[in-house]
Amino acid sequence: MKAKDLMIPLQEYLRPENTLKEAVNLLRTAKRGEEKIGVKGLPVLNENGKLVGMLSMRDILKVVFPFYLSMMDLGDFTWDGMVESIAKKSSNRKVGEVMSKVVISVDEGASLMECVDHMIKHNIKRLPVVDKSGKMAGMLYERDVFFEITKAMLAENNGGAK
Amino acid sequence: MTQEAAAASQPFVMDTAFWTATAIFLLAYAAIISEKIHKTIVAIFGAGLILVFKILQQHEAFHIEEFGIDWNVIFLLISMMVIINLMRPTGVFEYIAIKSAKWGKGDPFRIMAIFAVVTAVLSALLDNVTTVLLITPVTLLIADALEVDPIPYLISCALASNIGGTATLIGDPPNIMIASKAQLDFMAFIYHLAPIVVVIMVFYLFAIKFIWGKKLKTREELKQRIMAMDENEAIKDPVMLKKSLAVLAIVLTGFVFHGVLHFQPATVALFGAGLLLLLSKTHEPHHILAEVEWPTIFFFMGLFIIVGGVVKVGLIKWMSMQILELTQGNMFATSMVVMWFSAFASAIVDNIPYVATMNPLIVDMAKQLWPNLSGTQLLHHPDLMPLWWSLALGACLGGNGSAIGASANVIVVGMSEKAGKKISFMKFMAYGMPIMIMTVIVSTIYVWLRYYVMKI
Repeated sequence: MKAKDLMIPLQEYLRPENTLKEAVNLLRTAKRGEEKIGVKGLPVLNENGKLVGMLSMRDILKVVFPFYLSMMDLGDFTWDGMVESIAKKSSNRKVGEVMSKVVISVDEGASLMECVDHMIKHNIKRLPVVDKSGKMAGMLYERDVFFEITKAMLAENNGGAK
Repeated sequence: MTQEAAAASQPFVMDTAFWTATAIFLLAYAAIISEKIHKTIVAIFGAGLILVFKILQQHEAFHIEEFGIDWNVIFLLISMMVIINLMRPTGVFEYIAIKSAKWGKGDPFRIMAIFAVVTAVLSALLDNVTTVLLITPVTLLIADALEVDPIPYLISCALASNIGGTATLIGDPPNIMIASKAQLDFMAFIYHLAPIVVVIMVFYLFAIKFIWGKKLKTREELKQRIMAMDENEAIKDPVMLKKSLAVLAIVLTGFVFHGVLHFQPATVALFGAGLLLLLSKTHEPHHILAEVEWPTIFFFMGLFIIVGGVVKVGLIKWMSMQILELTQGNMFATSMVVMWFSAFASAIVDNIPYVATMNPLIVDMAKQLWPNLSGTQLLHHPDLMPLWWSLALGACLGGNGSAIGASANVIVVGMSEKAGKKISFMKFMAYGMPIMIMTVIVSTIYVWLRYYVMKI
């Protein structure tokens, strides 16, 4: 089993120049497989189809979280409506400013263990898969790797252990 | 004639060692000012060169006070950092800041003025960088709550911390260095610098009232956001807080009496750090010690060695001779040159390397003026004392002159940019430079009146 056999081929993606308003709308309505149920993260591609970043729900949370709150214990001293007001002010910021720029990706031919290695070491749930020309080909989800593992564990001819 | 006095009257030789040391010193200064390479790396590499070229023997750099690392400064800094790192998680600093904002009743200028005073007092007791790191996050939160521009608050915080830090021995690194070199105790700083710093703070409060007083406005309902905050929620660890305050009280009492008890300040601070580590019952001293600002500590150590090199080859003596020639031995004129030159130099260069250079320069100057004296008789000569205070006032207050003049300013500018509000170099200077000049004028009048007219 290789990365490309288990990945979900590229469907929806963002561009760095998209606004956050456009981005969250896509996050809410994007397809996962066949269903339009929304996704927790989307790849960000440049005009050549190259992967330049990822925008996840966590990145959006970070947008409304002022950096100074992380410097001291000030969470007790915030007020109602603070999150909403920063969210409104931030809706026209660009995806390129807030996306996670350091992106781990694997080749289509990467082994499943290599994919697990990245997922564990970098603590990621979505692993982008790129083709030979460097273009984004698809996304490998932790969930799908998990299903693959369960299949192996539950298989009947499971080397003696019952 | 003592050996020391003989050395002082001996003309130095401008040999290869002299020019090598001078070149290392000047290149290090240039590299620090250019900010192309991190200043700590410059200091460590420069120190390495001083040793490799045998300008100083390693023994001199590590063990001889005149040429090498001033361990009193190093251990005082490390120990105070450890104490603060242990105190920080208790929430006491959040408590103080929120309480201050509530004293201000949500009024934007009142809060600014109270924050300025609190920052100045904290800076006098802790180092400026720590204070600014503790106050600015709350400042940004309050500015967001009141929906006012945070920039005036941030600039005011940096300026107030540099003023407040001037007041005590432990307030600002230049004072720590001066105290160690000149063997001045904590109470000497309180007696000679604290009174004028109080006066300067009053001037400063009028100045910020004039600059920002009318511009800061908010709405009544936003003030309620501040008044609704409960500062008691800030205290996360009341047990550790009590221990920390007890140790802090012991340390401050120790500072007050260290001169009488013949302890160096570093002894007091090291004892306090050790005691609080013990009381904290931590089994992981690793992360407390890791949070010590090692780059700053190594910056000091490297600089001491580089400056020790140029002291040994005589460059510093040559510079002190030039100043004495300029002022013709008139001590009032020398004081004024030292204060004003220090102020402008500290606005351009980090005041730590500056004071590291000026300290031995003043000692050399004293040796030329009073070749028969040595030890504290020389360092505490009545005519020399105003020079130490002028150096402290000039170097500490000069830090306000530009955005790079003091570490506190650099931090505030960085935080402001992170908050999406850039403070340009010129914008900082537009407030900092007039405030610096005002405070140095007040200091000039003080030094003149106290030491040359009233002579007390």
